[in-house]
Amino acid sequence: MSDSVIANYKLVKAPIYSHCFSQDRSLLAITYNSDCLIYRIVAGGKPQLVATLADHDKTVTAVDISVHGRIVTCSQDRNAIVWEPLSDGSYKPTLVLLRINRAATCVKWAANGFKFAVGSSARIIAVCYYEQENDWWVSKHIKKPIKSTINCISWHDNGVLLACGGTDGYVRVFSGFVKGLDSKSQVSGSPWGEKFPFGTLVREWYHGAWIHGLEWRNNNERLAYVAHDGTLNVVDSAQYFSSVESPEGLPFLSLVWINDNEILCGGYSCHPVLFTEGADGWKFSKNLDKVGASHPSVTSETGDEEDGENSSFGISALKKFKELDLKGKVTTDVQKSTHENAIVELAPFAVSNGNVSQVSSCGLDGKVVIYRI
Amino acid sequence: MSQSLRPYLTAVRHSLQAALNLSNFSSQVVERHNRPEVEVPNASAELLLQPMHISRNEHEQVLIEPSVNSVRVSIKVKQADEIEQILVHKFTRFLEQRAESFYVLRRVAIPGFSISFLITNMHTETMNTEKLVDFIIEFMEEVDKEISEMKLFLNARARFVAEAYLGEFVY
Amino acid sequence: MEDWRRIDIDAFDPESGRLTEEDLKPPYATQVGLQELQPKISQLRSAATSGDFASAVQLATSDPPYNSDDATKLQYFSAVLEVLTQVRQAEIINIVKQLSPKQQEVLIKYLYKGMSLPEGQKQGGILLSWFEKVTQVSGVGPIVRYLSDRNTV
Repeated sequence: MSDSVIANYKLVKAPIYSHCFSQDRSLLAITYNSDCLIYRIVAGGKPQLVATLADHDKTVTAVDISVHGRIVTCSQDRNAIVWEPLSDGSYKPTLVLLRINRAATCVKWAANGFKFAVGSSARIIAVCYYEQENDWWVSKHIKKPIKSTINCISWHDNGVLLACGGTDGYVRVFSGFVKGLDSKSQVSGSPWGEKFPFGTLVREWYHGAWIHGLEWRNNNERLAYVAHDGTLNVVDSAQYFSSVESPEGLPFLSLVWINDNEILCGGYSCHPVLFTEGADGWKFSKNLDKVGASHPSVTSETGDEEDGENSSFGISALKKFKELDLKGKVTTDVQKSTHENAIVELAPFAVSNGNVSQVSSCGLDGKVVIYRI
Repeated sequence: MSQSLRPYLTAVRHSLQAALNLSNFSSQVVERHNRPEVEVPNASAELLLQPMHISRNEHEQVLIEPSVNSVRVSIKVKQADEIEQILVHKFTRFLEQRAESFYVLRRVAIPGFSISFLITNMHTETMNTEKLVDFIIEFMEEVDKEISEMKLFLNARARFVAEAYLGEFVY
Repeated sequence: MEDWRRIDIDAFDPESGRLTEEDLKPPYATQVGLQELQPKISQLRSAATSGDFASAVQLATSDPPYNSDDATKLQYFSAVLEVLTQVRQAEIINIVKQLSPKQQEVLIKYLYKGMSLPEGQKQGGILLSWFEKVTQVSGVGPIVRYLSDRNTV
């Protein structure tokens, strides 16, 4: 473990597709197969499991906690559930009628915590809000011109602009303006346009490769996204476009803005990578938590198994097959980074005077890690 | 390792590293299903990536077909003569019949190839991707060795049998 | 009776929005035919015969005919293959180093294409050593970008 890692929680033996800390950083919600687990963070100790939210019956794909402490989860069973915290520490589930017929892939609360958006494989984004008179969450659909699964969504801080990216290779910005909930003053003077009726396509960029993650930067009205061709790209409302490639070539899955000129990305290379904007565009700055050589050398590990078995004639390929697959053969390899598998999601953890100083991440290895920038 | 085998294996290694970046992807055609997109007749072309064909010569090739949540790796093992053809067939059949204990092995090779592997996001999530790549590479190295060893053994056995049998007729 | 269980109902829904191979191709402004490409092919050949492989490879990997039909692409490819196979082993690394990242990506595309066709498979060893040199210079990056790129050569 290198010194950029503050905390390393090995929580479950399954991939964590999404995680979220509560506003005061005391609670941590993670996805775990078809459940969502809530942990209480104990200073200096292991997080304590306080609740299991188990109403979904397929893989939970995303979880988010609003400013009010409400938890929303969405799953491949096509549903989203809002969990209202009760005073006794349990949660009251409310099923949200998304009216989608394929998996829900991602969910995000708007900054004010009164509505959220769900991306889906049904080529639909559902914007959901609570309706007092009916006492349920209603959803409105954004359909056109989405052509494939939505992988990621991000709300602008003004609560109206909604960016999304997916496997059709387009990054799109829609308006998620809900009448009666949002007011026009939220978007007055926005560089992205004048009027934002619900569902209008504000802007779109063609990238080609699948978009895995994207994030708004409200201060300078920019949008950054990472794609499957291993690039990090930054765009704005005008013509600005900047692209930088991952130093190891492997694609990123998620990103976090550190400040106006720095972005932290994480993905299949298993450790976060920091990019900085200089005079000539965005550039690779440094790797966090990376030990040893980047490229696995083409060394053979035959040394330990040559003895004894060597002379006997047999199906040694079959033997290898078994060794590698069943026993998950652990060699003397030095562990390369804290995350042992791809990082799926990054989120800001602590902010000090405008800079994100700590970032939390979750990975396919079942870990949640907090990094110091 | 022979001179031309090394670039062949490094090419396969790099191609696999690039291809094995998979995610959990639920079908957008069939409700509540999650299936390897490379295996199903696909109505969504955007989920498949460019296939990669790596060949050392006409007889030794690897085809890697990547998609959003699965990669199919097919290997054509060198078969110089009829005995090797039979041996490769028997050998791969032996493995394929036990495919479920091998996790990543596909039960049937795709046409034109000797053996196929199907790696899905479930595998990359539970196993170390590096090791999966190592395994495929090692398998490729090993299988050639295995076949030629078996051929030698077969020839030796044939000679022995012939000697024992024909020895009867020697005065 | 018709096998109604197997009817693909989404195919009847104009709003299903499925993407086909054709939809994925980036929109090209113009179609480049064999006629327009012929000068470049002969330029390639003459550079190769004069032994100036560095510039021949440079030329081959810049601005490849993405927007042509398959027959034209094949013509161009065979010219490229001819150049690639004439280069001596020792020179490969230097030529690769001179290429820009964009050109390396194009080179990777031609290498994969070469290895998928019988003409190229005969020269597998040479194509593989090109491939090895490209990955030595710039890692898996070009391959990752090849995978996602819908422009084919």
